[in-house]
Amino acid sequence: MVDLIQLIVSGTATGAIYALAALGFTLLWQASGTINFAQGEFVMLPAFTMLICTTRGVPLWLAFLVACVVSAILLGIGFKRIVVDPLIRHGVIPLVIATLGLSIGLKQLVKASYAAEAQPFPSVFPAGQFPLFGTHVSYSDVGTLLIAGLIVISLQLFLKRTVTGRAMQACAQNMDAAKVLGINVKTMVLYVFIINAVLAAVASLLISPTYLAKFDMGDSIGQKAFFAAIIGGFNQTSGALLGGVLIGVLENLIGFYVSPAYKEGVALVLFMVVILFRPEGLLGKAEERKV
Amino acid sequence: MTTTPSFLEVKDVRKAYGAIKAVDGVSFSVGPGEIVGVIGPNGSGKTTLFNSILGQIKPTSGGVEFCGEDITGMSPLELARRGVGRTFQTLQVFTHLSVRDNLIAAAQEFKSTMPARLFAAPDAGLGHHADEMIEMFRLKHVAHLKAGTLSYGQQKLIDIAMAFMPAPRLVLLDEPCAGVNPSLVDQLRELLCELNRTQGGSFVVIEHNMDFIMKLCPHVICMVEGKVLAEGPPAEVQANRHVLEAYLGN
Repeated sequence: MVDLIQLIVSGTATGAIYALAALGFTLLWQASGTINFAQGEFVMLPAFTMLICTTRGVPLWLAFLVACVVSAILLGIGFKRIVVDPLIRHGVIPLVIATLGLSIGLKQLVKASYAAEAQPFPSVFPAGQFPLFGTHVSYSDVGTLLIAGLIVISLQLFLKRTVTGRAMQACAQNMDAAKVLGINVKTMVLYVFIINAVLAAVASLLISPTYLAKFDMGDSIGQKAFFAAIIGGFNQTSGALLGGVLIGVLENLIGFYVSPAYKEGVALVLFMVVILFRPEGLLGKAEERKV
Repeated sequence: MTTTPSFLEVKDVRKAYGAIKAVDGVSFSVGPGEIVGVIGPNGSGKTTLFNSILGQIKPTSGGVEFCGEDITGMSPLELARRGVGRTFQTLQVFTHLSVRDNLIAAAQEFKSTMPARLFAAPDAGLGHHADEMIEMFRLKHVAHLKAGTLSYGQQKLIDIAMAFMPAPRLVLLDEPCAGVNPSLVDQLRELLCELNRTQGGSFVVIEHNMDFIMKLCPHVICMVEGKVLAEGPPAEVQANRHVLEAYLGN
């Protein structure tokens, strides 16, 4: 029982980080029909931005702010203007190929210019554990859960309770109608790209102390975030959260009670089951397409 | 043609797709507060004309002026900011938003600047106006339901209410009665008359329901094969031999 509580708390914390990256997938898809297979590298790059800053004596909180700004500019505005805008009019496939290429390019860039080895990354949370319901949970797990949860809730409130959030939802649901009603669709889509980049920077801050900063750390995160988005429902932001947490918790439970060797396969198996029996995702809604 | 000062001026608009002339030299004008009906058989170029006026497609030649300004080829966003709205043949509501949020979303962009909207109240100061429109369109009992869960007729009413939320100076309505239960058609016509009276905007209405258009529009244009075949008061157009031939065949 004690193990179970520990496993669930730490699994939920890891899952919440997957959810942050998965949220980016769903937001980009809803706002612009973009599937970004470089999402994992969008998490990896801020880790190295923060590392460059901290190795020069910049405190971690300031390094994180720098990483957010750099990510917003390069991975938000730059990614949209240079990669997405010229390609999206040609359909999803050229964009998928381009983001796969971008993923390889970013990995090799970091590998060649910084290091091929994993780099230790400072944690925002103190080391150690504290007692909870008769067991011990780490400050890191609880802190990660709180920060990720706070960000997901804030994002949901922003989308549902603010004027700009409503405009973003309107663009995601019906771009033609939004244009006719005077909503600046281009700006709303740009906001989504910036939000995605900042979410990735937050995920980077939370996961890098565990995964260590490495040029290929995005492979696993990007893949699990993609699976999480599909498991939860690609057209539902709340689905990304559910998918992420499910993967995180099940990975921990299978890894502990069955074998650590099966841990990495959990997301894939869950993804296949959902695709077979509920292709729109657990919380997703089936979409009608005109042919 | 109208004797009131010109408000919308469509000048010799042409739109060709290769050898096919979808719109072939159409000219007409609409005065302030005027309601003009556009009728014609399927494929006569009515919707292409609308799309050419509203920047959805670029006309091959010709021009469109609104309040003396050349608006030819302007984007729907630029036109919306000048007070030009439209509805489409197909439903264009935000299905996952509530009815009330649909109406607020339809007007919120005209309330303030973009940075100010980031910190604006959730209803953007439009809650009262949205409630008035909901009352007017008899949608109060479904105001908090998601638009996508409602019937086609109710969604059509939301669609039209959305077009009028920002109190536009000109609205182009593309087949407002299409798919609407006949019992709602009279209600819709009364609503449009009331909006014309209270908001004072000009309307251009494409419609196949002759009874609806004859009762609503003091001026009617009949298009056939991309050209204006006849125009004038509804009774006159309805009695026109060429119009009858176009509809019924020789």
